[in-house]
Amino acid sequence: MTSSVQQEREAGMQRALDLLGQTNTRLVSIFGSKDEDGTARVHYILETSDREYRIFSGRVTGPISSATAITPAAAWYERELQDQYGIRCEGHPDPRPLLLHENWPGEVHPMNGMPKEVPWTNREYRFLRVQGEGVCEVPVGPIHAGIIEPGHFRFSVVGDTVLHLELRHFYTHKGTEKLFEGSPALNGVMIAESVSGDNCFAHAVAYCQAVETACGIPVPPRAQAIRLAGMELERILAHVADVGALCGDVGFTVPAAYNARIKESLLQASTQYMGTRFWRGIAVPGGVTRDLTATDAHKLAHAIAEASRDFVELAQMILNTPSVLNRFESTGILNTETARRMAVVGPAARASGVKIDVRKDHPTGRYRHVNVEISHYKQGDVLARARVRIDEAATATRLAIDALRDIPTGSIRSALPSAGSGEGMSAVESPRGELLYWVRVRSGNIERCHIKSPSFQNWPALPLAMPDNIIADFPLINKSFNLSYSGCDR
Amino acid sequence: MIGDIAKQSLQSPRVLIPVEDLLGNARGSRIPDVCGESLSIEIARRIVDACPTSALTLAESGSAPELALNYGECIACQRCVQAGDGAVRMAANFTLCGVRKHSLIRRWNLTTRTEIPQDDPVAVDAARAIRELLKRALNIRQVDAGSCNGCEAEIVALNNPYYDLERFGIHFVASPKHADMLLVTGPVTRNMAEAVKHAYEATPSPKLVVAVGACGCSGGIFAGNYAVTGAVDSVIPVDTYIPGCPPTPAMLLTGILQTLQRR
Repeated sequence: MTSSVQQEREAGMQRALDLLGQTNTRLVSIFGSKDEDGTARVHYILETSDREYRIFSGRVTGPISSATAITPAAAWYERELQDQYGIRCEGHPDPRPLLLHENWPGEVHPMNGMPKEVPWTNREYRFLRVQGEGVCEVPVGPIHAGIIEPGHFRFSVVGDTVLHLELRHFYTHKGTEKLFEGSPALNGVMIAESVSGDNCFAHAVAYCQAVETACGIPVPPRAQAIRLAGMELERILAHVADVGALCGDVGFTVPAAYNARIKESLLQASTQYMGTRFWRGIAVPGGVTRDLTATDAHKLAHAIAEASRDFVELAQMILNTPSVLNRFESTGILNTETARRMAVVGPAARASGVKIDVRKDHPTGRYRHVNVEISHYKQGDVLARARVRIDEAATATRLAIDALRDIPTGSIRSALPSAGSGEGMSAVESPRGELLYWVRVRSGNIERCHIKSPSFQNWPALPLAMPDNIIADFPLINKSFNLSYSGCDR
Repeated sequence: MIGDIAKQSLQSPRVLIPVEDLLGNARGSRIPDVCGESLSIEIARRIVDACPTSALTLAESGSAPELALNYGECIACQRCVQAGDGAVRMAANFTLCGVRKHSLIRRWNLTTRTEIPQDDPVAVDAARAIRELLKRALNIRQVDAGSCNGCEAEIVALNNPYYDLERFGIHFVASPKHADMLLVTGPVTRNMAEAVKHAYEATPSPKLVVAVGACGCSGGIFAGNYAVTGAVDSVIPVDTYIPGCPPTPAMLLTGILQTLQRR
């Protein structure tokens, strides 16, 4: 899928750090793996100024020099390396544990092998202390007030105004990357579907494409078209739900209920024509498991068109309502420079003037044959993020309908080699942004699977949109980014 | 503007699903159903092999071989449907929602090719106390103990105009201190275990705990992995279970009402 990816395996680390120092290089991911002799290897995936993905890697024999000193976007990746593999990144400004909380003994690194039993400990975790006259700390979570995933937010406020927000996540850390190890490549897709439940199809497709690249498995054009339709439908669902939730957060409950209704109509159409509400079990390495008859494809396209027409009308109404604009406009601004510095992806990047979209920059499968217009705004506020979602729902509608009206004929699934081997990666534009899977397959089993989730990349940027906003606007700002906790924590 | 919305809202067709169409409806859940008559020992072996979790098991040692399907471990992947030669289908109806843990397991005698009847589900004491105290009102606090957010997406859907949970006098509240029922999803992660215990302790008695989804019922595909403690009942007492991956809104509603013995 990504044949253009260039790899440098030896002495790649220094080369990656040099490139990261240049403007127009975007950090995509940093992760570890083990060589056959058990030595750790660190991989850097970068997008260079020519908009190509490049992978660099090098063997780790001692502490490595930290990339975080060069770009703050690397901070969480290196903390993850430290937790998973015990790799020390020299010069890292914040080497606190990330995935593993107080209950986990500091000397146990899950990717290096697990002891029979891991004792429960009570290590100390220090939050950053903001001091001064009138400064108060407001801790929120891990359990939140709504039907939402868990995470902790520590606000330092003066009156209503937020001075500083510190995130503490990874409450839903399930050791997913470790769980992939040893799993048959065919079953790995079930794990991928359980990384972030509301984007499960994007995860499944990205995983399958990575395995297909690694093992050289062709995907029939018909399957590619069905995958595109599913991914765009998932985008519509996500954006409709997000815009509804934003309305709910400013007390505009009628459109919130209406959006929930539009979303449900699409889930029911999916059930009717694909047998599943969230397209679970559809993508598999080599293609898809379920075909669509011409009539069903037409009916599904019709359902999408109807839902989208209602949403367009509703969105107009929302954007013309002064009380909504009053809350959305100039709230939670993430400026372009910060968005670039933090390597932010997805709708949040496009709302802050960073015009990136995997569908356009690194198209895979059926996306190679379609034209994707990228909606982008400069303002970086809640309103811009809402507008990007509204525009993208319209683009996604067109793409999904086009794909469904013109599905190439042929098979939907190609046979798998019984024991494929190789390394491969694939990125897709999930509703939340660039989602990338990197896999190493050996004799048909997954040896290592790394997930770069857009939420892992974007969460650290959220606190940078908070200062000078009032704490009561936090739910709204948070919702406008709509990041996945489980996708981030894995 | 608001007037326009109100007008549109009144003009739009009703979407509310009648309760009789929801209870026991398994549409869209992809939960499997086994047809005992079509079973053979070969088919049973094949579907047990195809199952990526240990939901399907075969006991061949006793006098009569037995096939067991533990819905609490089923991730609705459809592998058994594909391997079952017609003996396994996607369920059209499914009522094992909001039941005790042992009731999640169905068994078939492979010699007689019939299902072995289950014990009657045992009533949950707390459910009677809550019903007597509160009649039709119920406050639910949802707790995500480490889920992938799939279950949450479906729980949120209960509030949409198709399901309208509030018509049953049931609503979601912001604090466990206001709750009669905890609806807990996810394999419990090590990092959430303490918070889940706190939420349980903060909920006043009488209280009900319902474990939701394959992960909540059994730990699902994450069972045994380093970062999770397992099913919800690995950290707090659980009254009833709602399987599924994720359970559909209809299954959730069936499970909540069945836990209250209101159906």
